[in-house]
Amino acid sequence: MVSQRTGLLKYGFVGPALVVLIVLNIFPLLYNVVLSFTDAELVGGGARYVGGSNYSRVFSTAEFVEAIRTTAVFVAAAVSIELCLGFCLALALQRGFRGKSAILTVLLIPMMLSPAVMALFWHQILSGDYGILNHILAAVGLGQPEWLTAPGLKLISILMIDVWMWTPFMMLIALAGLNSIPQYIYEAAEIDRAGAWRIFRRITLPMCAPLLALAVLLRTTDALKQFDLVMAVTGPNDAATQTLSALLFQKVFGDGKTGLGSAYACVLLVIVIALASVFTRYIDFIQRKQGKTQQ
Amino acid sequence: MQKPFLAIDRVTKKFGSVTALRSVSLNVGPDELLVVLGPTGAGKTTLLRTIAGLEAPQEGTIQMAGEDVTSRTPAERDVALVFQDFSLYPNWTVRRNLEFPLRAPGRRLSEDEIAQRVSWAAELLKIAGLLDRRSQRLSGGEMQRVAIGRAIVRRPRVFLMDEPLTNLDAKLREALRVELVCLRRELKTPMVYVTHDQVEALSMGDRIVVLGEGRVLQTGSPEDIFRRPVSPVVARQLGQPAINLLKVERSGGAWVADNGVAVAAAGEGGGNSMILGVRPEDIQPRGGEREARVTLVEDMGPTKILLVDWGGCNVHIVAPATADIHQGDTIHPQVDPERIILWPEQTI
Repeated sequence: MVSQRTGLLKYGFVGPALVVLIVLNIFPLLYNVVLSFTDAELVGGGARYVGGSNYSRVFSTAEFVEAIRTTAVFVAAAVSIELCLGFCLALALQRGFRGKSAILTVLLIPMMLSPAVMALFWHQILSGDYGILNHILAAVGLGQPEWLTAPGLKLISILMIDVWMWTPFMMLIALAGLNSIPQYIYEAAEIDRAGAWRIFRRITLPMCAPLLALAVLLRTTDALKQFDLVMAVTGPNDAATQTLSALLFQKVFGDGKTGLGSAYACVLLVIVIALASVFTRYIDFIQRKQGKTQQ
Repeated sequence: MQKPFLAIDRVTKKFGSVTALRSVSLNVGPDELLVVLGPTGAGKTTLLRTIAGLEAPQEGTIQMAGEDVTSRTPAERDVALVFQDFSLYPNWTVRRNLEFPLRAPGRRLSEDEIAQRVSWAAELLKIAGLLDRRSQRLSGGEMQRVAIGRAIVRRPRVFLMDEPLTNLDAKLREALRVELVCLRRELKTPMVYVTHDQVEALSMGDRIVVLGEGRVLQTGSPEDIFRRPVSPVVARQLGQPAINLLKVERSGGAWVADNGVAVAAAGEGGGNSMILGVRPEDIQPRGGEREARVTLVEDMGPTKILLVDWGGCNVHIVAPATADIHQGDTIHPQVDPERIILWPEQTI
């Protein structure tokens, strides 16, 4: 009796979440795959099966290669700068001092704001004519670059905003990693006459590594999908800043080619999954090396 | 006495409003094992960490080999500290743990020399078979051997041991205690050994410092501390079961307790109201005048510990195992008058 009732109950609990997952995640994903093999368009019905022709178009256009390059540059620069800055900030904040919690809170604000708000906000700062950054640069006698319109600077501006937004995230995770290292190990190392650099290199860094790798994984998969900042700063159809996501947005909603856009989406998905599996394997490897999974 | 290697002069250490060390002074000779004994919270670990340079004292100076090292870093002091909780580097092999201090910057040792020292220490501590095992896969005793190994490979100027045997089981503790004493004799390096275990203190120490509430209560040889403690607090630190303490008055040539029991004959001199201490092994169960009831008998093997109701006060007596005494028996305790210790009443 009881087991039958708990059996029903268990489906009752899991059911709603499962339905939401299927409707909002699984179905769109599968539908997207189906669409990518058709010539569906945003307006007007009648999608026909076109085989792999969308995919051959994806891989033969210069736009795609350019978008991959832009995305790769953006991801590599953003993640590495955020990692370095975040880790340095974490090291600086690791020791307790007066006002530490206030500083932490302030540092976390960028992460909590919506990217659209953030981009508008930075628009005001970076604007070539009335932006406060150029005012400051002028005041100290430096040039006044067109941050938002000069082709070479647009991507850098987006990068700057992204770094500003996500460095606190890296810092938080790095801080968690640093705090998980017991104090006694540092003391033992100090007694063993290890210098600051040696302690950092041999103890701090290796013991933080698994968490940092996780942070890099999360940030990389997220940065690969970079869209909102591009959309807000330059729009989706700017060659200098067109990331993969911006490109696929442009294909679907700009050009109205839903089928082709779906093919882009599938390619992006495969790239993200491939990179993520490399990272998870790396994290696994580190943990195994440290003997955590053996027990 | 030889010129001390380590001299601590009036060191005071405060953590916020808590004072952990109050003007502590002590000396350690160049070839001496000094035991610091005290209950939990007496400031023993703080003292050791201050000597190591992990804590900076607010007042006082620390000298090593005649040099003031008060403001030097732990690395500059070249001390080895063995922690109570082993504190090995996790995820590293035993070998790497032992090599780490030898690869410190400024310590230019050849690979041969490093390998030689590691195998020497491993041999000495009987951990040669464990060198390639990861530190978190060792048992408690093995971990502490490795921790001691990490201290000795360096040949430091002073060994500091913070209750290194406390977390081990009794049998292992005894074995490692003997090894430590032998090891130190061989290395001829001064050692400060912190413990709350009286057996370790008495058996290992060349001298003992008794610490209580951050103060040095007494310094002396184990014999001194055990036989001539300066206060009841120190007396209670040593001896198992603990010393019997009785409030006594001089009356008719004898020391008489509150309950009217004449404990021992009173000599000349001293006050009239005193605290009398007598160790349980210095009371004979028979031969006295006043009777007492045995309320509990603990058979310890070679001896029996009796808890005795002697006219209203509880007294411990150690009797030989062969004594035919049982719970509920009536005995006539007799105190060895040579062995009693007297303190003025206000010292308690």
